[in-house]
This record gives sequence, C-alpha cells and structure tokens, in this order.
Amino acid sequence: MRRRAPALGAIGLAVAVLGLFPVVITDPTATSIAVFTVIFMVATTSWNIFSGYSGYLALGHAVFFGSGGYAVALAARDWHFKGGWDVFALLPFGGLIAALIAVPVGLVALRTRRHTFVVVTIAIFFIFQLAAFNLGFTGGTSGIFLPIASFSAATYNNPFYYVGAVILVLTVIMSWAVRRSRFGLQLLAIRDDEDRALGLGVRTRRVKLIAFVLSAFPVGMVGGLDFYFVGQVYPQFAYNPLFDVSLALMGFLGGIGTIAGPLLGALVLEALQQYFTQTFSGSGAYLIIYGALFLAVILLLPQGVIPGLAGLWRRWQTRDARAAPAPAPGALP
Amino acid sequence: MSATALLQAIVDGVLTGGVYALMAAGLTLIFGVMDIINIAQGAMVVLGAYLSYELSVHAGISLLPGLVITVPAMFVLGMAIEYCFMRRVRESDRTAMSVLVTFAVAIVIEGVLSAVYGVDYVQLHASYVDKSVYVLGFYLPWIYLIAFGLAVALLAGLYALLYRTRFGRAVRASLQNRTAADLIGVDVSRTRTIAVGIGVAVTAVGGFAFGATNAFNPNSGYDLISRLLAIVILGGMGSIGGAMGAAVLMLVVNDVVAVAWSPTWAPLVFFAALVVVLSVRPQGLFGRVGARAQ
Amino acid sequence: MSALLEVDGVSKAFGGVKALSSCGLEVHEGKINGLIGPNGSGKTTLFNVITGYERVQEGRVVFAGREITNARPDRVFGLGIGRTFQLTRLFSRLTVLENMLVATQRAEGWLRSVVRRAGSASERRRAMELLEFVGIARLAAEPAGTLSYGQRKLLELASLLVADPSVLLLDEPAGGVNPTLIGVLADRIAELNRAGKTFLVVEHNMEFVMGLCHRVTVLDQGTALVSGAPEEVRRNPAVLDAYLGGEDSEPAAVLDERRPEPRPAAVGMGLRLRPRPAPARRDDLLELRGVYAGYGGGDILKDVSIKVPAGEITCVVGPNGAGKSTMLAAISGLLRPRQGQVSFQGELITGLPPGDVLALGIALVPQAHSLFGEMTVRENVEMGAFTVRDQALVRRRLAAVEELYPIVRERAGERAASLSGGQQRLVEFARCLMLEPKLIILDEPSMGLDPQTRAVVFEMIELMRDQGRTVLLVEQNARAGLKLSSQGIVLENGTVRLTGSGREVLEHPEIGALYLGGGVSVGLQATS
Repeated sequence: MRRRAPALGAIGLAVAVLGLFPVVITDPTATSIAVFTVIFMVATTSWNIFSGYSGYLALGHAVFFGSGGYAVALAARDWHFKGGWDVFALLPFGGLIAALIAVPVGLVALRTRRHTFVVVTIAIFFIFQLAAFNLGFTGGTSGIFLPIASFSAATYNNPFYYVGAVILVLTVIMSWAVRRSRFGLQLLAIRDDEDRALGLGVRTRRVKLIAFVLSAFPVGMVGGLDFYFVGQVYPQFAYNPLFDVSLALMGFLGGIGTIAGPLLGALVLEALQQYFTQTFSGSGAYLIIYGALFLAVILLLPQGVIPGLAGLWRRWQTRDARAAPAPAPGALP
Repeated sequence: MSATALLQAIVDGVLTGGVYALMAAGLTLIFGVMDIINIAQGAMVVLGAYLSYELSVHAGISLLPGLVITVPAMFVLGMAIEYCFMRRVRESDRTAMSVLVTFAVAIVIEGVLSAVYGVDYVQLHASYVDKSVYVLGFYLPWIYLIAFGLAVALLAGLYALLYRTRFGRAVRASLQNRTAADLIGVDVSRTRTIAVGIGVAVTAVGGFAFGATNAFNPNSGYDLISRLLAIVILGGMGSIGGAMGAAVLMLVVNDVVAVAWSPTWAPLVFFAALVVVLSVRPQGLFGRVGARAQ
Repeated sequence: MSALLEVDGVSKAFGGVKALSSCGLEVHEGKINGLIGPNGSGKTTLFNVITGYERVQEGRVVFAGREITNARPDRVFGLGIGRTFQLTRLFSRLTVLENMLVATQRAEGWLRSVVRRAGSASERRRAMELLEFVGIARLAAEPAGTLSYGQRKLLELASLLVADPSVLLLDEPAGGVNPTLIGVLADRIAELNRAGKTFLVVEHNMEFVMGLCHRVTVLDQGTALVSGAPEEVRRNPAVLDAYLGGEDSEPAAVLDERRPEPRPAAVGMGLRLRPRPAPARRDDLLELRGVYAGYGGGDILKDVSIKVPAGEITCVVGPNGAGKSTMLAAISGLLRPRQGQVSFQGELITGLPPGDVLALGIALVPQAHSLFGEMTVRENVEMGAFTVRDQALVRRRLAAVEELYPIVRERAGERAASLSGGQQRLVEFARCLMLEPKLIILDEPSMGLDPQTRAVVFEMIELMRDQGRTVLLVEQNARAGLKLSSQGIVLENGTVRLTGSGREVLEHPEIGALYLGGGVSVGLQATS
C-alpha cells in the first residue's frame, strides 16, 4: 500500500498538467503541437493494447486512423454539420467505423503466424490506401474537406486539445483496465507463450481479435479529430506508412507493453517530430534523423525506457531483501 | 476486351514479372538466409534508380553501362547493412524486429534521397526507352525486353551461383540446415553477409528497369515494397522458385485486370489476392508448413 | 476400474518417422498411471495427441465416454484435462500469482473478462492456497522468469490446479529436480490423488515412477508394450530389452575378433571389408578432466573425467537426462565448459569453436538428422569436405567413401530427404568421413531405426574403428553399444558412475538399476 501513494500523486500531477497546459501556455504553435502530441499519445496507447500486450506487431493501424478520418469527414458533410463543437460528437462514430473495419481485417490477419502477420497488416494498409485513392466516394486525390470550426482565433486550438485530452484519459483508463483484467493477462500470456496459453484454456483467437478491435476504436476517434483539426482528409495523409512506423517507434521507445511507456514515447517523439518539421522545412533531413533514431532505439534499447527504469527501480527496492541472510537449510529451494 | 488486348496484357505481365521476379528473389534470399524481412528492398530499388540517374545525367554514363557500377555498389551497401544492422537484431523476436529495423533503413534511404534530389519526379532516359518492336501483332517495348533479358540473365546467374559454386552450396546449406552447415565448417556468418549483398545487388537492375518505365521520386519505394512483399509471401517465404513463379503470376494478373477492368484497380487486386490466399493457405502458394530445418 | 481416458489405435508420423504406431493406452480413474519407455518411444507425442497439440488421422482419444480426438487444446483443458511440459513452460514476464490467474475455473463471458479485475477475491484466495500447497506462496509477486528450476515445476503444476482438472498429464515432473524436491512433488501428487484426481505421469526416474504409480504402461517404438502393476512391469524381460536394446538377430559379436568374411547384413548393403590393420598404441586420444558444464540454469555435467583411447570404440550410456549430449556438446565446441579441461592429442581444446574443433580432426554426427534435405546424396557427402579446397583430393576421398558406402554411389542423384532414416544415417557417416577425422563422435546413431538397419549402423561403426579411427559413441541402445566397445562409460545425473570394458559395464549388476530402478541383474544371454 505504501507504493500506491507516489503513483497516485504522479497521476494526479499528470492530469493537472494535462488540464492546465493550454491555460498556462497560450502560444498557438505550442498548443498546436500539443494537439498532435495528445493524438499520438492516444494512438500509441491504443496500439499498445494490442501489439504491446499480445506481442503481435501490427503495422497497419493507419487503416483505422484514416478510416476514422474519412468517416467523420463524410458524416459531417452528408449530415450537414456546421462546424463547431457538434462535429466532436461524430468522433465516436469514427471510432465505431474503425472498430467495424477491424473485425474482418483482424479475422484475416490473425490467421497467420507472427512474422507473416506483420507483413499482412502492411499489405492490408496498402489496400486501404489504394482504395482511398480510387474509390469515388472518398474524393480521390484531393480527398474531403471538413467543416471549418467556428472557434475564436486566439484559442482555436483549445477545444481540439481538450477533446483530445478527454479521449486520452479514457484510452489510458481502458489500457489500465485491460492490463489488470483477466483478458489482459491472457493477452500477456499469449505474448509469452501462445501455445501454453492455449493449453490453459485461453481462447487465443477470440482474445486476439477482441484486443485488435478494441485497439482500433480510439485510433479511429483521434483520426477523426486529427483531420477535423487539419481541415482535410486525403489519401496520402490519411493512410501514411510513416504513421504506422511512428506508433511502433513510440511504443518501443517508451516501453512496449506498459501503460506509461507509450505515453512517454509519444510525448517525446511527437515533440521531436514537430520540432523537426519546424526547423527542417525539407523532409529529407527529418527522415534521416527519424530513421537513425529508430535504428538506435530498436538495436540499443529494445525494452524501451520505462521497463529499463522499472528494472532499476525494482533492483533498488529489493536491495534490502538481497542482503538478507540465506534461508535455513532444509527449506524448499 | 479483345483477345489481342488480353494477350498483350499477358505478355506485358510476363515481361514485367521477370524484373519483379529478380527483385523478389533477392528479398526471399535474404529472408531464407537471415530470417529477416528486408522492408528496405523497395527503397533500395529506388536508390538503384537514382544511382543510374546520377550516372546518366551527371556523369554521362548511360544506363546499361552504368549497371557495371551500380550493381557492385548496391552489393557493398547490402553487405554493410547486414554487418551493421541486420546481425544485431536479437534472435528471440528476430523476424518481427527485422521489419522495424529494415523499415528504419528504408526511411533513412528515403531521407537521404529527398535531401539530395528533392521530391520532384524524374525518370531514366535512354534512346530505347520509348521505342517498341512490333512482333507477331504485339508491341514489345524495348525497355521491357532489355529489362526482362537482364533479369533472366541474372536469375540464371543466381541459379548458377547457387548450384554450381562452392559459395552457392554454402548458402543452400545454411538455408536448409544451419546446424549441419556449422558442423561441416561453413562460415555461416560470412555466407550470410555475402548472400544479403547479393540480395540487395539485384535491386540495382530492378532500379534500372523500374526507373526507366516509371516516373519516380524518393517516396516511390513504398509501392514497390508492398508488391514485393505480396509476391514473396504468396510464393512462400524463403522459396526462390516460389518468388519467381508468384512474381510472374501476380504481374500477369495485374496487367490483365488493368486491361479488363480498370488500371486503377489493378494493384488492389494484387493485395486482395494475397489476403485471400493467405486466409486459406497461410504458408503461401509454394511454401511448405514449417519447411526449414534449423 | 474404468478407463477415464482412453487412447485407441493412434498412429502419428512426422515425415518418414513413425512416432506412434497403433498406440493404445488406458488411464484408470482415480489412479496414478505411469508411462515409461526409452528415448524416442513416443511419450511426448502421445501427450500432444491427447491434448490436441498434434492432429491424428488414425485412432481415437476418448475421455469420460466422449470422443475428443483432435479437439483443440483449449477445449481439452476446458473438459478437465491439464498437462505440463517436459521443459517447463511458464509466462515468464507475469508474476507467479498472475500465472495462476490466467486459467479460469469456469468459462467467463468476454465482456466480463475485459472489464473486471483479473481474479476475484475468492479466486485469488484459492490461487494463494494452491501456491501454499506447493510451497511457493512467498514468491507470489515475483516474475515467474526468476524462479529456480524446481520452483518452476511446482508453479506449472499449481497453475493447472486452478481449473480443478480431473486428469493431469505430467511430462517428466521430476526431471532435473533435486532429490529433496522430488520427495515433495511425489507427496503432493499422492495427496491430490487421494482427493480424487487421476494422473498420467511420464517419467524416466524409475524410483519415482515405481514408488508412486498404481499402474505403469511401457511405450516402445510408438506402441504400448506392456501394462500392469509396477513390479510386474519392471521384471518383464521385454521391458528391459526395450530400454537396453534387444538382442540382434545374428550371433553376438565378440570383441577384438577379425572378421574376414562379410557379415550377412553387410552383404545386403553391398559392403566390402578390409582386413583390420595392426592395433594402434593405446594412447588416450581425448581426455576430459574435471569438467563442469551446463546451459544457463546450472551444471548438468559435474566433475566429469574420462579418457578415450585411440583406435578404439568408447561407448557412453546412461538414463535420460544424464548429460550425455551435454558432454558431446562440450567436446565439439557447441558448449563451453564452466570448469575443467578438454584435451585432444595432448593439446587443450576447451572452449574452442566448432570450426576449429573440426579442423583438428574431430567430427560430430548429431542426434537429429543433419543432412541437407534438398541436396542430392552425392552433394551432401561432398559437403563433408567443404573446407577442403583441392578438388582432386575431394574426388579421391569421395571414391574411397563410396567404396565403403555403396549407397552413396547407388543413390547419388537422389534428394537426401527421400531416403529412409537408416539410409540417411549412413550418408551422414559417409559425409563425416570425408575429412578423414581422427575422432568420430556419434550421438545416438541408431535411434529410431529398425533392428535390421541398426545392425548395419553398428557394423559401419566397427568399420570406422577397423580403419584406425577412434569412435566416441553415445547410445540409447546400451546393449548393442557396449557390446562393440572396448570401453564403456556410464553417466548418471551428470557424473560418471561406471567405467570399464564394454562387457564389464554391460554385465555390471548396477546397470539394470540405473535404468529401471531396483536391483535387477542384466547381462549377456546364453549366446556368448
């Protein structure tokens, strides 16, 4: 019980920072960066619910991001939303569409073994990208425009930020709930030893599919949010391979399979990403640094920052136990 | 749609399929020897194309002779990437992690190309690029014929290498039974490095063919790798023969669909076919379940 | 006494190897049933078939009157059959308690399982009780990966009990566990049995099996040989044969005798023999001194010292898990000894990598089939001389090898994978001879082969010796192996228990006890 207090304190602090950020820092560039950061924090946490807990690397979540975006854009246009707080009500719809798409995608992709699974998610991603370019109702190359929000110019970013923050809190709660649930345990068991999990009665196919669909919902929602913020959804942007890779990189950097890890990874990386976009206007240098960073993280820090720290924390905590005298002979080993 | 158009589409498919077969063979060879899926293969083709571009535009060396430089260059690059990055991927999660590592390499390559060449589209030019020969009622573009010829020659060369040389036997041994290869004194580590070098070297030829028949920019690698992955999975990971067969098959289907239905939907059919086949037969068309002994 | 679980006529083949051959088994309700048999007899495959990890086309598995053949593992578990694995499998990154909570006692709707906390209060209580029962409750919050080997075994058992299965299949529960713990394990199993649980236990530890089980079934070559009370089974000569190797169909070979005439089996393979050269000096070609070696967890070999004389066949035997393969790995460079020395021809070779060991003249033919399946027979043999650059020399050696192993010439162009197990073995021998090694190490060369082919394999081993090479042989088939060896070494639990001439070791009274527990005397029958 002693360990709870610092954790609760840290959470409280984080929530406070989250809530007060745009109040304290009013610079629109900063709050704009904050919107994107929050969006990525949601996406990475959500992705982690599937890939981090089950160990199946999904590199096609842009499918849900983009589909959520298109769903919201199309709904806003066809159901005559005017632009303002009302469009935010469409976000759950975007999430729902993404989740519905995740069902057949998951059914197909999860039939394969782990390494083929990665590639199948990539292939399915390209199918969606192609479809977006070519299907009539998606508006082709120029895509679809979303209604312009009628927020005041000075604090234009703030509503987007707060909606994103709310989604973030809900997603983190979902991630936490999954982690402590039996369902989450079964996912983690699948990651450690899928065959044995099967032998212990875990319905592995069902568990993986449910996790996959769950992980699609928040990504669909922030997809809608992202494109509403930007004002337009078009194929290259909606279905962007870099997005898929970013989620994985953020997850690995922070610590895949933990709750705080994706948050940290997204925070650090998105801030970095935005900084680069501002400083290096050309995309070349940015990509080089991004790729190099990715390589460094994967090869040198395979567990990520958070588990590394957690390991140190645990070692520090058990230093007393390790100094204790050896158990009496005759006791069980 | 007339029979002629259909046949033309099939011929086109076979010709382009040959080039894809070569690139896919390289990809599956790397997988077979290293257990690594080289996502950067597409970006490397683009790199190869840019190298040819650089030589032809800025050094006055035309495309075909330029291959004498680009192929060894890509070979060395492949070995360097294996040595620096691929072999450092942990054994435990190797294949999944390799996707991330090679994706990162692809991003770096794309970044370098963007920085040097910007985002404008370019294309490789040579006197024969836009000309065709008219044979038996079919138009056979010279560039496709040359590329196909090169691809066949290289595939034959690859075959000769694998089946007639000592090194080739070492590669096949490492592919079939790593432990046994170790026990008879094969330097598995060195064999892998060279095999990856070869797997990448073929992208120089792919770059030449791709660059001469398509306008490309640094971003073009994604489209390529997605097709190559589809081909390799369809053919069964690690099976060179399977990759070749799947390449020709997929490209023929692609071209036929383009003619029969619509050019924009053709690539979609590509992936849809992949997804369907995998749902039914997860080991691919020509792969065997758990085929490789360790 | 009814059979709660019944296996009937099950056959399972992997490629050319028949793992199970019309196998039948009855697991009697409320009893502890034992399943024993030599290495490769199909015990684990049988477990896999029962629990749905392997599918079968022939035969049935029936549980409590219902057919469950080819049911998926999760369903089998749900019906009340739990199993452990030979090499403990746990969820290493989860804590001990979390490991216990993965399995459920009753099926749970998926929505509840997502929303509710893992393990209700009563489930956690029960999990802790079970952990208490096996004695590792204090480790509940530790990651399972940090447990010692014995603790892992206990956890694996406990995590099955959460779901209250009616049948427990235990695969080598006492394997590699220290003696104190074995006692605890046996007690727990007995207690659970008294509470009504049925067990089917695979074990090599004969005291464990004989002391604990009410009924024992013996599996050999994929089929059930004998079933009955432990004492009966132990005294059954067929059982002893299964473990130590049956008598060959031809007269027993007497050691050190010249055989100018080709032997019947050899004629069948078209072999020709050369007269044996003068015996080499009895120097020790290979020596191990005080070797301790193991893989990560702990030492498997403990203070092993052996000498392998030049020009002779030395055979190492011992029950499963004794460390025979580990010893070979330590010699051939696949494993680095933690302590101790390995020397070859007087030079230290401890810890050298396999390539160097090969270059010194030591060739290893591993237990698992190691041919390159897609290459032809001839290519495979040529690959043996991969490190030889001089092609003319390779061709000469190939010709010489073909003389001894005509199969190489006869099946030269065929795909190696299409050969039978025995033929593949002979090609492997041919391949290893291409480098003209001084020491040939053979790891269970006769495993999985029928008696006829086994006889040929052993003849070829003698031929290697006749040509002046030294052979270090690890054999499951102790009788055959020791019969042709001039030196026998018995390894048990990582230490050398007996050494002597082949015959001495074979006739030693303790050898039966080592394999079957209890003092049964074993020896050459009237044929000698």
